[in-house]
Amino acid sequence: MANDSTLFVSVGNSATAPHQRPFSCTISPVVLFGVLDHYLRHDDKQDKVIGALLGVRSPDGTEVEIRNSFSVIYTEDAQISLDKEHYTNMHDLHQRVNPEEQILGWYTTGPNLTPSSAPLHTVFSQDTGHFRPIHVTFDTEQLLKSDDMGIQAYTSAPVGFSTKPGDCLYLPVPCEIKYVDAERSGLDMLASAKSSETRSASLLSDMDHLEVAIGKLQEMLQRISEYVDSVVAGNEKPNNAIGRYIMDTVSVVPKVDSASFEKMFNSHLQDLLMVVYLANMTRTQLSVAERLNLLVSN
Amino acid sequence: MAASLPTSEPLHTVQLDGLVVLKIIKHCRESYPNDVTGQLLGLDETGTLEVTNCFPFPSDCDENASAQYQLDMMRCLRAVNVDNNTVGWYRSAHLGNFVDSNLIDTQYSYQKSLSAHSAVIIHDVSKSAAQGNLSLRAFRLTDAFMKQYSKKFTTESLAKAKLSFSTIFEELPIQVHNSHLVTLMLHNIEMPKLDASRLKSPATFSQHTELDDAKSLSPNFDVLDLELDPFMQKNLEYLLDCSDVQQQELNNYQYWQRSVAREQTKMQAWLTKRRQENQIRAEKGQQPLPEDEVNTLFKLPPEPSRLDNMILTAQMHNFTKQLNQFAGPSLARLYSIQELQK
Repeated sequence: MANDSTLFVSVGNSATAPHQRPFSCTISPVVLFGVLDHYLRHDDKQDKVIGALLGVRSPDGTEVEIRNSFSVIYTEDAQISLDKEHYTNMHDLHQRVNPEEQILGWYTTGPNLTPSSAPLHTVFSQDTGHFRPIHVTFDTEQLLKSDDMGIQAYTSAPVGFSTKPGDCLYLPVPCEIKYVDAERSGLDMLASAKSSETRSASLLSDMDHLEVAIGKLQEMLQRISEYVDSVVAGNEKPNNAIGRYIMDTVSVVPKVDSASFEKMFNSHLQDLLMVVYLANMTRTQLSVAERLNLLVSN
Repeated sequence: MAASLPTSEPLHTVQLDGLVVLKIIKHCRESYPNDVTGQLLGLDETGTLEVTNCFPFPSDCDENASAQYQLDMMRCLRAVNVDNNTVGWYRSAHLGNFVDSNLIDTQYSYQKSLSAHSAVIIHDVSKSAAQGNLSLRAFRLTDAFMKQYSKKFTTESLAKAKLSFSTIFEELPIQVHNSHLVTLMLHNIEMPKLDASRLKSPATFSQHTELDDAKSLSPNFDVLDLELDPFMQKNLEYLLDCSDVQQQELNNYQYWQRSVAREQTKMQAWLTKRRQENQIRAEKGQQPLPEDEVNTLFKLPPEPSRLDNMILTAQMHNFTKQLNQFAGPSLARLYSIQELQK
């Protein structure tokens, strides 16, 4: 899901050379969950949490992938100051497990950018090397009130005459959520828990999973055929784009000559059944051995 | 580490937080094809093991370094209010080849030192990717096995304790639990943002980028893939390897049995000779020679431990079960394709 913010590009200033600024960033779902979990566990005295973002960046610095995160503690007197020791400890520990993830920036769950974020930005920019750190805000209020995710990512561009990285202009960066196949199955399962009362779901066996997927497919086909029927009957205005999409989808089903299909089907079936037979034979063998072992008395 | 408290209720489910599931998946996936481990943190409620957080172990450290790492990590996490209680560990696996002595040793030490309620969670990376269904299983060693582990594993002791490969582990059902905020977020991700009237007709079939952007949690149809061969092939290979090793172990056992038989016959022969000598001596009126020297002269070789055997059979059982479980949905898929063609 792409965030709807646009990217402002500032021209001219050599310190904001494009190679130093990320243009797009992708977030992995682990980070989202981690941040929300951290927010849930925060002390009541502080109403926002701060943490660091880890990940990889492309060699030229324009693509950034945020893969992991950890939380840092801070104290708020006149200014916000981080617990440096805790931060370096966590960073080292994470580095040992995953040496290729570097610090990319930091996150906070406050609603918007505040002036207090400037010194923190300085701190984190020391660790990001030549590149500008990324700052991501998770707005939990927005999450509650609207349909939006409430995630905003920013990178910085220096403004004014000072050379401190903290004094900067925050440029919004489009960020989207990306996941891989294995994570996708985990996320699906978690998402299935969202509609239940107790917010929990149990793991499905393979057969159940197949059943659910086929059920969904059937439901989708049903909806499409109802739509087509109502368009044909003149009840609904036809939408050319949707019609094209449907036509494309339906034409993907391969039309195979029935004799060769029979042959393919049968050979596939035979392979499968033979493997099942061998597996079952091994199993019975093991069970018999087990019983015999129990009967042996020396 | 907490001392083991008397447990009131036996453990019957494991409840994972959404965060834990994703972190385990991420760590195991990134270290493919190596096997990696990590620690689980959480609470031990009545009958349910709640896991609220986890962290991975670095793969290249030895005993002391990993203990140090664990302490450091726990200290840091406690500072941010994460549950500081270790409840178990997790491990990655590929196509079910996780039952080995390493697993049993580690799980035994966890259950002994922490509490009887620690569990190991196995995440199967290749199975999850192949079928689109998350493979996560929780195990703990049964009490009977724990008692037996400290003693030797001979055939008769196993028979007396009624232990066999299927009673080594007990599997616990897993449930996944989300917090409210996370549930909100999941709802928000799924909101479709497409407006039908603004759709443009696709010129070619591949121009579906706008639709792809709109749906991020659309249903996962990877499970409808027809391809069987890689999965079955790998599974069969593992099974064959396992049965080879099993064959060697059985040969060892038989060799031992034969050597015991030989020793026994030798002992018998010696005993009869002794008795004859004693008879002759008794006729002559001399002291009979002792007969229990037989035990010191002939030593029976010790029985090899049956533990490896049991582990191997458990592993083979696992593989065959997997094949079976895989076959079910595959048959369903095949037949549905047949229907579609008609």
